[in-house]
Amino acid sequence: MQYGVGLVEVMRRLATVLAIAFMAVMLAASFLGGSSYSAQHREFIDAAPSFQFPLGTDDLGRDRLVRLLHATRISLLFAGAASLGATLVAALLGGIAGYAGGWFDRILVRVIDLLLALPSLFLLLATRAMMPLNASPISTLLVTYALMSLMGWLSPARVIRAGVRNSRDSEYVLQARAEGCTERRILLRHILPNLRPIMVAQFWTSIPVFILTEASLGFLGLSASEPFPTWGSLMRELQNPLLAPVEAFAPIAAIALSVSCFKLINPWRGSQA
Amino acid sequence: MKSYTIDSLLSARISADYPDRPGVLRDVELEIAPGEIVGLVGESGSGKSTLATALLRLLESRGGKTRGELRFQGRNLLELSNREMRRVRGREIGLVLQSPLSALNPAMRIGHQILESWRAHREGSPDLLQLLEMVNLPPEAAFLERYPRQLSVGQAQRVLIAMAIVHRPALLIADESTSALDVVTQAEILNLFSSLNRQMGMAVLYISHDLLSVGSFCHKISILQHGRMVESNSSEEIFRNPQHPYTQALLAAIPRLPTFPRTTNCHRVAVPA
Repeated sequence: MQYGVGLVEVMRRLATVLAIAFMAVMLAASFLGGSSYSAQHREFIDAAPSFQFPLGTDDLGRDRLVRLLHATRISLLFAGAASLGATLVAALLGGIAGYAGGWFDRILVRVIDLLLALPSLFLLLATRAMMPLNASPISTLLVTYALMSLMGWLSPARVIRAGVRNSRDSEYVLQARAEGCTERRILLRHILPNLRPIMVAQFWTSIPVFILTEASLGFLGLSASEPFPTWGSLMRELQNPLLAPVEAFAPIAAIALSVSCFKLINPWRGSQA
Repeated sequence: MKSYTIDSLLSARISADYPDRPGVLRDVELEIAPGEIVGLVGESGSGKSTLATALLRLLESRGGKTRGELRFQGRNLLELSNREMRRVRGREIGLVLQSPLSALNPAMRIGHQILESWRAHREGSPDLLQLLEMVNLPPEAAFLERYPRQLSVGQAQRVLIAMAIVHRPALLIADESTSALDVVTQAEILNLFSSLNRQMGMAVLYISHDLLSVGSFCHKISILQHGRMVESNSSEEIFRNPQHPYTQALLAAIPRLPTFPRTTNCHRVAVPA
């Protein structure tokens, strides 16, 4: 007698498939699209959408669609990399704290509490704003994501620490000790495999967070500098939203789509833990 | 000082404390001869499980401390180095923990799990199918591929027993191994312990809160109350001639079958076919 539940699930799957398909097309197109993201078409400045430029051109005469496709590639890649970095740092520090306990654990927990209490967006803005204006575009890109990664390990570290603690104090680890397993074996064969779903979940949920943070930074003009296109830096066109043409809102659609895509697909759903 | 007879397998006189709970065990004396089945009975919180973990010196991993003398096959286990103690665990003394489903690692297949307890001390692999047969589990390769969540509680209990007997230890400690099971499965597990005891000459320390099940197959019974051993005697003597008031109370609490007087108002009893 559960008619409603099935419908919601069907809608969820349909949305998931659509979202994945769209992202896949955008990623594929960015590799196929031959045009350069920085090429300027001086005779078509601020052009309206046409067959040649489906999303029009920006104030420097650059093809918006080409830039959006490249931005998709860069944003997804770097959000993924930053998330991986944050999860690895979190796993290392949270893992040691949870397993060893003692003074390291106490200090780490205090440090995490302290850093989480800071308004992280302002910290990012301040640090990023301290970079010299003539820094190369690639270094601004790397620094932006590295900063997000540095701020992003805090809550995953907490979750992983709790997971390691649970596992360490569990009955199956006590049982493994009673079997005479070495500490190394207990760590590698009994504790780590049980952390895998937690780490995958942390990795996966961090990606949309980084995408959104980068978008906020980019809107304020503090993400990767020109001419690098990221979803965030494309949003600079929207700083005066009343003057921006409709097609300039495309990055927002891409961000909304990818973020909901990451929230809809949860790879740890069917895992054993 | 008490003199130890040569033929005792384990003879202990230990006290145990947790930092926040001193005196969990107070001068508990326990004597087990080779091939003997000893029952340890006490209510929840009397220190039964603490004793089980203390005998393997596993209390330290949970922040506890064991003092006294713990002689096993001529050595004082409390004086062994960690490395030497690790070799005793699982190989000379096996432990089956209380809750079968949480004592198995949720991320590990049954076959790997049994193999883990073998590899803690030896290279290669035991005959896993024969081992399954010994504990009355289906001796099929497909069974070894299962995860703990795919087992019933009774099956999980048998897997744990298989893991504990893989090295044919001289002493098997079973902590409340049957309290999570239904009556029929309980009887099967008790039979399994008896037959392991007969076939391999394995001594068993069987811990339970249920005096009746202990009395049905143990040679000797020790009664634990508030961390002290209040009475220790042969099963027959415990049932016939209980000395301590607590033992008498335990015996009085055993439910009995209803007795029907010869002359009764009830003329007919319907027995369903």
